[in-house]
Amino acid sequence: MSAQADIVLEARGVCRSYGPEKVLTDVSLKVDAGTVTTIVGPSGSGKTTLLALLALLLEPTSGEIWVGGRNTTGLSDAERSRLRNTHYGFIFQSAQLVGSLSVLDNVLLPAILAGRARASVKAARELLDRLGLGPRAAFLPHQLSLGQKRRVAIARALLLRPRVILADEPTNDLDARRASQVADFLLSLPTEGFALVLVTHDTALAERAGNRWEIREGKLTAPEHVPVVPLEWNGNRALGTNSNGAL
Amino acid sequence: MLRLVLQNLFRRRWQSLATVAGVALGAALLLAVFLLYRGFDQGLERGRQRLGADLLVVPSNATVDPDRALFAGSPLSVYMDKKFAEQARKVPGVRRVEAQFFTQSLHLECCSIGIETRLIGIEDQVTRRLAGMSPDGREKLAKDEVIVGSELLGGVGKPGALIELLGEIFRLAFRLEPTGTSLDYSILMPMESARDLAAGADGLKEVWKESGDPHGLISALLIEVDDVSRIKDIGRALEDLGSLKVIRAADTFQRLKRLMGAFVLVLADAGVLTALGGIAYLLGHFSSVAWDRKGEWALFRALGATKPRMVQLVVGESTLLALAGAALGLPAGYALYRAAFARLTAQNAFPFVAPSWGLLAGAAAAALALYAVLGFLAAAGPALRVAQLEPALTMAQGDID
Repeated sequence: MSAQADIVLEARGVCRSYGPEKVLTDVSLKVDAGTVTTIVGPSGSGKTTLLALLALLLEPTSGEIWVGGRNTTGLSDAERSRLRNTHYGFIFQSAQLVGSLSVLDNVLLPAILAGRARASVKAARELLDRLGLGPRAAFLPHQLSLGQKRRVAIARALLLRPRVILADEPTNDLDARRASQVADFLLSLPTEGFALVLVTHDTALAERAGNRWEIREGKLTAPEHVPVVPLEWNGNRALGTNSNGAL
Repeated sequence: MLRLVLQNLFRRRWQSLATVAGVALGAALLLAVFLLYRGFDQGLERGRQRLGADLLVVPSNATVDPDRALFAGSPLSVYMDKKFAEQARKVPGVRRVEAQFFTQSLHLECCSIGIETRLIGIEDQVTRRLAGMSPDGREKLAKDEVIVGSELLGGVGKPGALIELLGEIFRLAFRLEPTGTSLDYSILMPMESARDLAAGADGLKEVWKESGDPHGLISALLIEVDDVSRIKDIGRALEDLGSLKVIRAADTFQRLKRLMGAFVLVLADAGVLTALGGIAYLLGHFSSVAWDRKGEWALFRALGATKPRMVQLVVGESTLLALAGAALGLPAGYALYRAAFARLTAQNAFPFVAPSWGLLAGAAAAALALYAVLGFLAAAGPALRVAQLEPALTMAQGDID
C-alpha cells in the first residue's frame, strides 16, 4: 500500500470565515490510517470549526478537504451526507443522544439513517457489550450516567466501522478518573485501524496522544510528535464500571 | 426509517395522542356529515321516484304537512268520495291518477318495532309501478296478498310467508326496497281488501258513520301530468272538482331540498372547520417540532441523513399521525352518523336512505387518502426547513431531549 493510500483525511490550505471574521487561515493537515491526531488550543481558537470542516459539516471558504484520496470540493449534499455516514464516526462534546430513543437505537442511528438498521443490530449489541452497556440496551438516555452516555456515543461512532473517528472534547464534563478511562479506550482505537482525530483542551489527554497540532488564532502550527500511550482494552474492567455498569 | 418515526411518535405519546385526537375529531365530523348528506339526497330522490307524481290531492279539510305526506310518506287518515279519482282522470293534462286508501295502525305481534304500522290500499297500477322490486315481476296483487315495507317482518318476511292482519290471513308478495320513509313501516294491499279490513275494524266504526261506507272512499290521489309547465292550471282544475286540496310536489321538493341544503351546509361548515382546525393543529405542531427538535434533526444530518431523508422523516411523522387520527375518527364518525340516522328515522322528519356499504367504504378510503395528503401538506413546509438545517449546528449543542 502506498503512503498516499494511507491518508484517510487531508485539509489543503483551508480557510474559513464567518462574514468578515476569519476563523481559520490556510490550514493544512494530513491524517493517516491507524494514527491519533490531536488538535489542541485555547477556547475560541478555531478547533471546533476545523473539526467541522474535516467532518464535512461545514464547507471551507477556500481550500480543499480530501477524504480517502477524493477531493470533496463541489460534492453534492447527498454525496457529502453519504461520506459523513460511512467514512466518519462522530463523538461530540456532549454525548448528543436522542432522548426519545433507547440506548440500542441511539447506537443504531447511523445505520437507521443509512437504511440498514436490521443488518446492524448484532454489531450494535456487540459494541454495547464491549463497552459494558449490554444490560442497558433498552434504557433511555436519561437513565444513564454521564460516563455511560459518553460510551453510548462512542459505540454509535464505531458502529459502521468508519475510517476516521472525530472526537470533539470527548472527556469534557467527566471527572478525572472517568476522563482517563474514556481516553484509554479512544487511544486504543488506532490499533484496530481507525484514524482518531481528537480536539481537546485537556492537556492530560493531549500529552498521551500522537501527532499533536496546536491551533492559535486560526492558524495551525507544525505537529509535535508525542508517542501514543495506548492501554489494552479490557471491557468493563478497563472502563472501571461497577456491577451496575455505571462508569 | 419507519422505526425511527414510530419510536419518536410512541416516545412522545401525549403529544402524539393530542394530535391524533384533533385530527380524529375532524375526520369523524366530515364522515358523519358526508353520510348524512348522501342519506338525505338519496332519500329525497327515492321519495320523488316512489311518489312518481307531480300532484297530491287530498280532501280540503285534511290537515296535511306536505313534506311528510309527499316525501316522508306519512299516511293521511282522511277520506273523500272515490268519484274524485274518476273525475280527476278526465281533467285535461292529467296523464295518470293513483288512488290510495289509508286505514288504521297495527302493531304486528311478530315484529313490534314500537312505531306505527299502516295499512294502505293501492290500485293495480301502483303494483305495476312497483313491479321492479318484485322477484317475479308481478303486476297485480291477489285479494289476499300484501307488499310490506323494508323494515317489517325481519327474517320471516320472505315471499309466500303468511301474515295475520286483523284476523285475516294474507300472503306476502314481496318486500319493498328501503325508502327511508314511513313507507318502510307500511303494508300495501289491494284497495278492496284494505276497505274490507277497515270496514270491519272496531276502532273505525265512528269514522264510517261520519264519512260513509269505506268501500266508496279514498284517502288521496297521486297525479302525474303531461306537461309540468301547465301544472298550476291543472291544479286549479282539480280544486274546482270539489272540496279538494292540491299540493304540488315540485314546490315541496324544492323547498325541502333548500331546507336540507341549508341544514347540511351548516353541518358541512362545522365539519370542514373542524378538519381545517385539525390541519392547522398539525401545521402548528410540526412548525414547532421543526424548531424544538432542531438539535435532533441537526444530529441526523451530521450522522449522514440526506435532505430528502430528513423530509421523509418529518413528513412521515405527520402523515402517520394524520392517518392514525383519520383511522380513529372514521369509526367515531360512523357512530355519530348512526346516532343521527336513528333519530331522523324515528322522527320521519326527512326522507333518508342509509348509504350503501360500498359508499361507506369509498368514503372511508377517500377520507384516509385526504388526511394522508393533508398530513403531508401540513408538514411539507416544516420538513423543508428541517432539511435546510446546518449539520454543523450539532457541534454547538448539548444533549437532545
